[in-house]
Amino acid sequence: MSDDRTAAAGAPATGTQGDGVPAAGGAGAAGEPLFVLPEELAIDTDVARKAIAAFVRGQLKQAGFERAVLGLSGGIDSALVAYLVTEAIGAERLLCVMMPYSASSPASRGDAEAVVSDLGCAVELVGISAMVDGYFGHDGVPGEGGPSALEAAPLRRGNFMARMRMAVLYDRSVSWRGLVVGTGNKTESLIGYTTLFGDSACAFNPVGDLYKSQVRQLSAAIGVPEAIIRKAPSADLWPGQTDETEAGFSYPELDRLLFWRVDKRRSTEELVAKGFDPAMIERVDRMVAGAEFKRQVPPIAKLGPRTAGVDYLYPRRRPGSSARP
Amino acid sequence: MQPLRIALAQTAPRLGDLEVNFARHHELLAEARDAGAGLVVFPELGLTGYLLQDLAAEVALRLDDPRLAELAAATAGLSAVVSFVEESADHRLFIVAALLEDGAIQHVHRKIHLPTYGMFDERRFFAPGDVIRAVPSRLGVGIGLAVCEDFWHLSTPQLLALDGAQILVNVSSSPGRDLAMSNEVGLGTATSWRTLMRAYAQLTTSFVVFCNRVGVDESLSFWGGSEVIGPTGATVFEAPMFDEGLFMVDADLADVRRERIALPLLRDERPELVVREWRRLIAERAGLAADGTAETGAAAGPDVAVEP
Repeated sequence: MSDDRTAAAGAPATGTQGDGVPAAGGAGAAGEPLFVLPEELAIDTDVARKAIAAFVRGQLKQAGFERAVLGLSGGIDSALVAYLVTEAIGAERLLCVMMPYSASSPASRGDAEAVVSDLGCAVELVGISAMVDGYFGHDGVPGEGGPSALEAAPLRRGNFMARMRMAVLYDRSVSWRGLVVGTGNKTESLIGYTTLFGDSACAFNPVGDLYKSQVRQLSAAIGVPEAIIRKAPSADLWPGQTDETEAGFSYPELDRLLFWRVDKRRSTEELVAKGFDPAMIERVDRMVAGAEFKRQVPPIAKLGPRTAGVDYLYPRRRPGSSARP
Repeated sequence: MQPLRIALAQTAPRLGDLEVNFARHHELLAEARDAGAGLVVFPELGLTGYLLQDLAAEVALRLDDPRLAELAAATAGLSAVVSFVEESADHRLFIVAALLEDGAIQHVHRKIHLPTYGMFDERRFFAPGDVIRAVPSRLGVGIGLAVCEDFWHLSTPQLLALDGAQILVNVSSSPGRDLAMSNEVGLGTATSWRTLMRAYAQLTTSFVVFCNRVGVDESLSFWGGSEVIGPTGATVFEAPMFDEGLFMVDADLADVRRERIALPLLRDERPELVVREWRRLIAERAGLAADGTAETGAAAGPDVAVEP
């Protein structure tokens, strides 16, 4: 079927809406495609930028804030959000916080700095090593987490780091008087490749309904540095980690599967007929179902007459709820 | 006939804030009047915002509310369509569009179709209206009011046109979604709406005035793109997507006569046939009549057999 093809970046059969996916095909200096964009995932980036700018401004206005803060890792998701927020409210109202751990990749730091210098927004460097090591211990000396924490697996440490970064961002949210902007994408949210109350914690998220491939398309359109778009996505929880080797499939194929499964409601039989590997379908289905809890507010035991989230349903902001007098 | 100047108030209502939204309506009415508008159209729930949930009961207005009277009073020499939550005497809540003219509430349309699927949950909070009526107006032509989802049902524009409307006004809070590049204007919602409005204008040989809000309620970004479509189905005006603004459009109402003479579709409608067939369908779906064209074993309603 024609909709099963995978097109090179920026060159889907339907044509672009003219806001310049670079070099019409996203070819970088090396001549290789900057990224792979499955045809059915191609979005109108002009409309996306307009909608997202309105969303960012609307969220801040509803909450009575004028500024925003986000954690800038050097990866593509947070870089894109920094560009989008800047486009929506101006660089002077954005604070980017870089929060490396001692083992974090120095290249990430360089990429983050490139974004900040391109945008001209405020930046702060808050290392999290002392906080993390203070709990897990280091050099064989136990921390507050006790002797067993010295042996904690990388996943435990990674989750803890994500939650320390969340804690820093929410503290800076107060001092900067800005809302925390989420940077998680739809792919990682669906498969649960996020830390609960860690990187997923935010006041609002402008890119949470965009697949990784669409994040790349939009990044190219808005001018995120090419090196950031090109490099392999990584949670950078340990040296050399990449999302795709950890998950066992590439983002374009995962995005396509999720798109047909979730957005287009295709059955397993229909997906197989489209050429998807049954084993991959089964595995991804399990990941999506297993991560349902991460995408929802925790349930409260229904005991009283009226219960938040059950039969007490209000918008998050209404007259009188403004954070600032 | 003088062209009618229509003002499309593509606003971003403040959720739950009647005071702010009423003030904004007064401002825009004055601005439209100064610009020579004869008809000013505000979006669905422009006085309250859309995603109200339990706030609906708190912002609901009785039709004798002095704030409505005050807004109506600002329409001397003007026609305006405004939208809010109406609380009836028996305490049902309705999403309504009201035609205000020359200082009075001329007509109130209660939203007939309340989407309660996918991203929508309207029936949980609101009661559906039961009446579709076109109303005469000071503009010299009949006006038909509809609210958003009402236009996703073919019967709405048809009934309004047959009842005498020459201007069909749809006020909406349509959330934008589906950015696929394959869409005509880069937004799936906008593409669907544009298709519907052109078809309705052509099939009813009427003007279609569509006013959709902008701004954000929670996750939803409303896409604007308000339009005026002429009775030939041709676009008279389209407002930008996502941008707030008061847009002036001149509509030559004589186009309705020209088109209805040239293309007498409304003259040739067969309401007596339609109502006969509807009655048959209703009886068959209720199991009160046998369906002569159904497959053996079909349940009441669908003409095809249900699989065992």
